[in-house]
Amino acid sequence: MTPLRPGRGGGVLATILRYELRMLLRDRRTLLIAVVAPLVLFPAWILISRVVERNEERRLDEAEYLYAVAGTLEAWARTAVHEALALPDSGGGDGARAVRFTEVRPPDPDSALRAGDLHVVVHGLTAEEYGALAEEERLEAIERGVDGAAEAEPPPLARALRIRYRAESDFSRGAMSRLREALTDLRRLERDSAFAERGFPVALGDVAEVEDENVATAEEEGGAFLGLALTPFLLLLMLTGGSIVAVDAISGEKERGTLETLLTTSASRGEIVRAKLLAVTVVGVAVALVNGLNLAVYLGLGVLELPASLQMAVSPLRALVVFLLYLPLAFLVSGVLLLVSGFSKSYREYQIYFFPVFLVFLVTALAPLLPGMELRSAMVLVPVSGISLAVREVLGGEVDWLFAGLAFVSTGAVAAWLAILTERTLSNERLISRSELDAADLAGGAALFPRHVFRWFLGFWVLFWVTSLWAGESLGIRGQILVNLVGIFFGGTILLLVRYRLPVREALSLRAPHPAAWIATLVGAPAALALGIGVAEFVNRYVFPVPEEMLEAFGRSLSGPELPLWQLVLFLSVMPGVFEELAFRGALLHGVRQRMGRWGTVLVVGAFFGFFHVSLFRIVPTALLGMILAAVVLFSRSIYPAVLWHALNNALALVPVRLGWIGEDFRLPTWTVVPALAGVAVSLWILWRTGAGRRAAPVPPGPGFRA
Amino acid sequence: MSDSVPPAPSAATASAVPTPSGAPPTIEVRDLRKTFYDESRGEVHAVDGISFACDRGEVFGLLGANGAGKTTTLRMLSTVLRPSGGSAWVMGHEVAAEPEAVRRSLGFYSASTALYPRLTARETLEFFARINRYPPERVPERVEELVERFGIGEYQHARVEKLSSGMKQKVSIARTIAHDPPVLIFDEPTVGLDVLNALEMVRVVRRLRDEGKTVLFSSHIMSEVEKLCDRIGIIHRGRLLALGTLEELRERTGRHYLEDVFVHYVTREEGVDVAELGATGELEAGA
Repeated sequence: MTPLRPGRGGGVLATILRYELRMLLRDRRTLLIAVVAPLVLFPAWILISRVVERNEERRLDEAEYLYAVAGTLEAWARTAVHEALALPDSGGGDGARAVRFTEVRPPDPDSALRAGDLHVVVHGLTAEEYGALAEEERLEAIERGVDGAAEAEPPPLARALRIRYRAESDFSRGAMSRLREALTDLRRLERDSAFAERGFPVALGDVAEVEDENVATAEEEGGAFLGLALTPFLLLLMLTGGSIVAVDAISGEKERGTLETLLTTSASRGEIVRAKLLAVTVVGVAVALVNGLNLAVYLGLGVLELPASLQMAVSPLRALVVFLLYLPLAFLVSGVLLLVSGFSKSYREYQIYFFPVFLVFLVTALAPLLPGMELRSAMVLVPVSGISLAVREVLGGEVDWLFAGLAFVSTGAVAAWLAILTERTLSNERLISRSELDAADLAGGAALFPRHVFRWFLGFWVLFWVTSLWAGESLGIRGQILVNLVGIFFGGTILLLVRYRLPVREALSLRAPHPAAWIATLVGAPAALALGIGVAEFVNRYVFPVPEEMLEAFGRSLSGPELPLWQLVLFLSVMPGVFEELAFRGALLHGVRQRMGRWGTVLVVGAFFGFFHVSLFRIVPTALLGMILAAVVLFSRSIYPAVLWHALNNALALVPVRLGWIGEDFRLPTWTVVPALAGVAVSLWILWRTGAGRRAAPVPPGPGFRA
Repeated sequence: MSDSVPPAPSAATASAVPTPSGAPPTIEVRDLRKTFYDESRGEVHAVDGISFACDRGEVFGLLGANGAGKTTTLRMLSTVLRPSGGSAWVMGHEVAAEPEAVRRSLGFYSASTALYPRLTARETLEFFARINRYPPERVPERVEELVERFGIGEYQHARVEKLSSGMKQKVSIARTIAHDPPVLIFDEPTVGLDVLNALEMVRVVRRLRDEGKTVLFSSHIMSEVEKLCDRIGIIHRGRLLALGTLEELRERTGRHYLEDVFVHYVTREEGVDVAELGATGELEAGA
């Protein structure tokens, strides 16, 4: 019935992209604010700040500073100040101190200082006064918890000059620093002459010379500097540049009413999203390039100063690798911005979401600034951070192809996933129209739970971290376990059951398993522990290297600090077995299972479990245990074997060490991984044959259910 | 949504909802439903089991008060909303299973489908012809045709944001038919227009019918429906209360004016007296 041969899909994408860019180029105000303004304002800001800085310096240099002298040794202090101010300028200036100091003699110098009538007060202190004052300050520092205050050396028993000033006043600060410099020069001269009188050579260089020498090449130095700064700088530009299009791309269309016009055309949601994604990327990259070139021009003109080696730092090959690494990053930025635009119903809402997004990007891009952070670590899997680290290493002269590739893939995969999510937002009636909710909203309660389950567990994760960081030490190990297991995990599970009116028995898989499940558990738990240890060792040695001391410290912590054996078993074995299973393999698994297939559920539940175990190097083994336990529940259709399995796992890891049966440094031989794997496989097979494999439909299907 | 896609009606198998001509329908709606959840009102059956079918070259009018379910029905047909139950076909394509094919076969116009302010009138037509997959080599020719037909030559190079509402309306109708679809949906097309522009719209719809297009038209303005529609469906609280030509509806109710016919069906459904209805203003408020 369609009268004409339709055009191609690629044409649709190109048409939308072309028109998006055309409309953007016609929006003069946006272009002015986003592109032209930074081009002009950036150098203007630098020039103005330079002028202001120079004027300020001149003003301080030409100022007349008022000072007073006080204290028990007032006369000595006055003489010292006079002599110091009479010294030639040590800074190699014009031979005389440019600033003028005038002494005033108010009745109460300290009150006059506070009233702003003079700039500094010099107190001449006896050795006893100085010692007492120093001790008083040391005690205050200890009280405030200042690091190293308790171990600080007492000051030498000598007279002292104390310069009192007001930090909020430029002039008072200027007077203090100049007077301090002059007095320090005077002290040095007096010390030198004292040495000379007693027959010592004067010049310090005659005693010993301390020198340093930089052996890094100019390229390495420039590359290291560039590697630290480039990713955050580019991100800043891409985020602000990409936002110009992204805010208009979906949320702007909703506000104008053009989205419905677009959605009723024969362009597919995928074509629309891909075209808009390309538009955001093109503009984000273009704005970054324009501003980068702008920066380069000002560097070339000498308006800005950076290390001279920087221009030499990037070879063409390394520049190409860096460019390739930035490709998935550009798409990730665009994907996030477009997703935010899809979720926002107006420009205003977009702006509200933009700031946290901006912060998250910036924090992850700053990974190379963390001390000791290497590309060859779990951080490679974190989007943005992995790229940032890879770029630092490439520019620093090393290319770890495997891990640079991993960084590329991890960031690229998340970018692709975001594009799919954005496509879904255009099919989501709740997001494309203002008042309508969908079937799950309609049903409410349990039907909404699968949609909300991730955000709840993300909330629990944040709570878990916050309590660990803020209250961890003060709670002690028992308190911490009680808060985490009973408060967060059990309390959270109860909250979800009540909030979503979940059927308790079904949601938590509270069903009696087949008797054979207990045998399978007794076989599987020790085997899974051995397998987990083997995998952890492999990962920590070959994939994400972890310092030996950290592993040893963790090993020592496993012996259970200051807990009697029964408490060790209760707090670290039985309670985690019960409460973590109810939360992760109960509530979480129930929600996830209705969103995805069996193996997807196993992976996701395991990954969540891994991320709740704070240390980075524990993520892989705990995620593996989480996956096995998820499989145990799905296969056996009951949570009870998983509870026993989990408790046994923890008990076997802790009790033999505590009882001294094995040492803290005990290592399983590598070959044990093979029988361990077989043990887990047999155990899971038994659970399957006697559980889900024997009966049909383990969990009632929900939206998107796949058996 | 249902997992199994309902089979497309075909000429060979008799359609569940017959058309006046007996030919395969261009639009078929079968027991279509849409339920929303509203914070204040709870469960709302915006469309509650509507069925009808349209012929080629027919103007079918959905007549109902504000909130009766007209727009929701049309938005389901345009695939912006997914039905909660039942199904619908446009040119043989099922709305949930083949949304892109459905959209390729129709042009959708409503007061809420705005135009891009920074494109010119001509660019707007070109853009919509292209993204609706009109053959690229014939787009310039089609745009010329539309410019001439709607008399927008004078301002074809002006940006949409600079046009008057009447000019925008013409561009908007032209972009709706830019890809020459066999089915057109006009949702309350005269809302907010002055008398002359409203008359222009009526003229356009008639001409489209004469060209053999199926026009599905929704309105709450009786005179418009009376003048334009070959058949009328009266919709109230999400349900189709009556369906037929104006003559048939007159015969069934014994009333001459469409307004009286409409009130007859609505009051019968509501079980209220006409005088009381007028006094409470319930008809205006809608469902």
